[in-house]
Amino acid sequence: MTRYVLRRLLQSVAVLFGVSVLVFAIMQLVPGDPIQLALGQQADPETYAALRERAGLDDPVVVQYFTWIGGALTGDLGVSFRTGETVLSLIMERVPATLSLAGAAILVALLIAIPLGTISALRPRSPVDWFASLSSQAGLSVPDFWLGILLILLFAGTLGWLPSAGYTPLTEDPVEWARHLILPAITAGVSSGSILTRFVRSSVLESMGQDHVRTARAKGMRARDVLTWHVLRNALVPLVTVGGVQLAYLLSGVVVVEFVFAWPGLGQLAFQAVQSRDYPVLQGAVLLFAVIFLVVNLVVDLAYARLDPRITYRSAR
Amino acid sequence: MTRGRRRMAARAGAAALGVALLVGACGGGDEVDVDNPEGDGATDDPGTGGAEAPEGTLVAAISAQPDQFDPHRTQAYASFQVLENVYDTLVVPDAEGEFQPSLATEWTTSEDGLTWTFTLREGVTFHDGSPFDSADVVYSYRRIIDEQLANAYRFASVADIQAPDAQTVVITLSTPTPALLDNIGGFKGMSIIPEGVAETTDLATAAVGTGPFTLEETGAGGVTLARYDGYWGDPATVDGVEFRFVSEPAAALTALRSGDIHWTDNVPPQEIEGLEDDEDVELGVTPSVDYWYLAMNQTRPPFDNRDFRRGVAYGIDRDEVTEAAWFGAATTNQTAIPEQSVWYHEYAPFEHDPDQAGELIEANAAASPQPMGLMVTDEYPETIQAAQVIQAQLAEVGVEIGIEQEAFATWLDRQAAGDYDAFLLGWLGNLDPFGFYHAQHVCEGTSNFQGYCNPEVDELLNQAAAETDQDARKALYDQAAELIVDDVSYLYLYNPDVVQAWAPDLEGYEIRPDKAINFETVRLPE
Repeated sequence: MTRYVLRRLLQSVAVLFGVSVLVFAIMQLVPGDPIQLALGQQADPETYAALRERAGLDDPVVVQYFTWIGGALTGDLGVSFRTGETVLSLIMERVPATLSLAGAAILVALLIAIPLGTISALRPRSPVDWFASLSSQAGLSVPDFWLGILLILLFAGTLGWLPSAGYTPLTEDPVEWARHLILPAITAGVSSGSILTRFVRSSVLESMGQDHVRTARAKGMRARDVLTWHVLRNALVPLVTVGGVQLAYLLSGVVVVEFVFAWPGLGQLAFQAVQSRDYPVLQGAVLLFAVIFLVVNLVVDLAYARLDPRITYRSAR
Repeated sequence: MTRGRRRMAARAGAAALGVALLVGACGGGDEVDVDNPEGDGATDDPGTGGAEAPEGTLVAAISAQPDQFDPHRTQAYASFQVLENVYDTLVVPDAEGEFQPSLATEWTTSEDGLTWTFTLREGVTFHDGSPFDSADVVYSYRRIIDEQLANAYRFASVADIQAPDAQTVVITLSTPTPALLDNIGGFKGMSIIPEGVAETTDLATAAVGTGPFTLEETGAGGVTLARYDGYWGDPATVDGVEFRFVSEPAAALTALRSGDIHWTDNVPPQEIEGLEDDEDVELGVTPSVDYWYLAMNQTRPPFDNRDFRRGVAYGIDRDEVTEAAWFGAATTNQTAIPEQSVWYHEYAPFEHDPDQAGELIEANAAASPQPMGLMVTDEYPETIQAAQVIQAQLAEVGVEIGIEQEAFATWLDRQAAGDYDAFLLGWLGNLDPFGFYHAQHVCEGTSNFQGYCNPEVDELLNQAAAETDQDARKALYDQAAELIVDDVSYLYLYNPDVVQAWAPDLEGYEIRPDKAINFETVRLPE
């Protein structure tokens, strides 16, 4: 197990290195000069040159890369071209908002997926199953943007129950935090929930056809207990993997949802960085996303082993 | 966010003062009595900060996030929306574009126009408590010049800045510059900061101004301002202002209708009609000093041919373009300066005339049909809509247009490199005609990306820039403007309106042509 973890960590470092080179290279290739953008139309040549030099953009690309990655290793991700703040502080400022949203969204997704997926698996081809598959299809097809606006118009506009946009930190006011969280969490959670519903359904179906379930039934065990102890327990183990990946996806910022709800998260930060060609911020954000994905995957794999005793990593040698 | 020249100008000192007195006189008594109920009205909104928001905080939703708060460095309109309320300049324009005292109480110009002497206001303190004097002015201006910050070009004609005593600043020029007041007071990019503050404070995130509000808290979701009780003018009526960044108009307008926010500038032109009948929303629409134009690359044939460009000018129906891009919330114009300005010159030689357009284009195009790439950017969606209409109009007169939609960063790159046939864009917030014409149309102008060069225009513009007699100066600019229009250096299209919306019973807010927003005299609804 330790060996496996070590090997996975080494792999992760290699992947991170690759990601960093790739991100850096792409930013260099994308047209659009950040200094030009910052100065707008009235770029006076002298001012332009002074700003470029200050930003270190006149150094050779390789030097720029090693300056950046060297700093990143010591936790210094550089300074935003746009705001002049350190990239680390910009990112840390947004982590709580994104954590709140991603956590709540995955909760919404599970609250949709587990009941709906289980019921439809228990009654395949019934109206319930038909409804579940239709609604998960709809949930996947509806654009987040549109769903978000509909929710705003209904719950913030017509009914006036919830705020339309914005964010309040949990530490400042837990009630307001929750109220602001509901609509974006539903918006972000619906598509994940739709994916997970299908997953739960097929997983439960598969699990029900297995020998130990039939045995349990044959023994005369109550249907509900069979479901709880034999079917769901096994069926939901794989959910950890898929749910983990969904969480990582949500954590790396649901850009559209953050835009619609003026949610100051990482996705919004990355979006702005792309728009303003803010290399340091975008590189920092992408690196962080890569770390999130790698860590979540690692945790998921390890958790998997705990949940399902059949899986062992010893044979990985 | 960083459109071309995002210039902001300060609030009309005198006018707003009048409003403040008026408002104070009418509602003073009530204010004391209903202090708490009023606070209740503001705080039971499910807004961020909710219960903790101080009583009487105005909540404004702005469509973009400020990039930073250093007035000398930022170019973003979103930043100036906030900074307008925090910093002061030596002089400020009033609603007519005339400059009024602010941190300077009076100024004199020498006979030769080369020496300007400003007398500073006494008893002004910065938000950190330090007193304001001439050393702060010299420091602020030297910082812009010496560090070659974004606005350094405004001081191009400044030879020296001296502070002979604590209340006096003398600016010496290398050539007469009647636009100097516009250069130092036209917008908050020329704010006065305390001497040495840039070395001790990170001005990107903190602000030390002399304005009616202090910058309290900046975060990813919003910015909070608090009233500055040591303000040299009448203190602000509200306790504070909370700016929230809401990019999605549906969210902003819903928040306004439900009372979550009091004010927003996030009103797309297509919403205007619907909002006019909406009792929950007060709509403010006023002509702006913004102007939009099409520029053709005059280093490339056939666009180097004046008659070809004139053909294009005859081929465009400005009314249709304006309707499509702004849903009518704009005024067509064939010159840059809008009707409301004292510098406006009525001149409109190009009636929509497809026949004449077709003839001129056919006679002067190198090949037929002549393809023309028209560069637009999704940063300003109106350019895309306008381009589609122009494409249809010019197709009828023999010019085939290929619309090239670019991200703004790429757009600017291509513009700077001269890698385009034509583009659409606008300039905002000029008060002095120098800002409308000079850098864009003199041969070596820093913003002359279209490659226009007419020695006669150069001479007129240079003369006008140094002419100190106002009438003579206007005559020179009028002549230059006519030549620029005749030569189609820019093909001017329209001046869009400023569109903002606020709560119906919000009092004392004044919408301004230069899009500067100032909440100093605003009173909240009860």
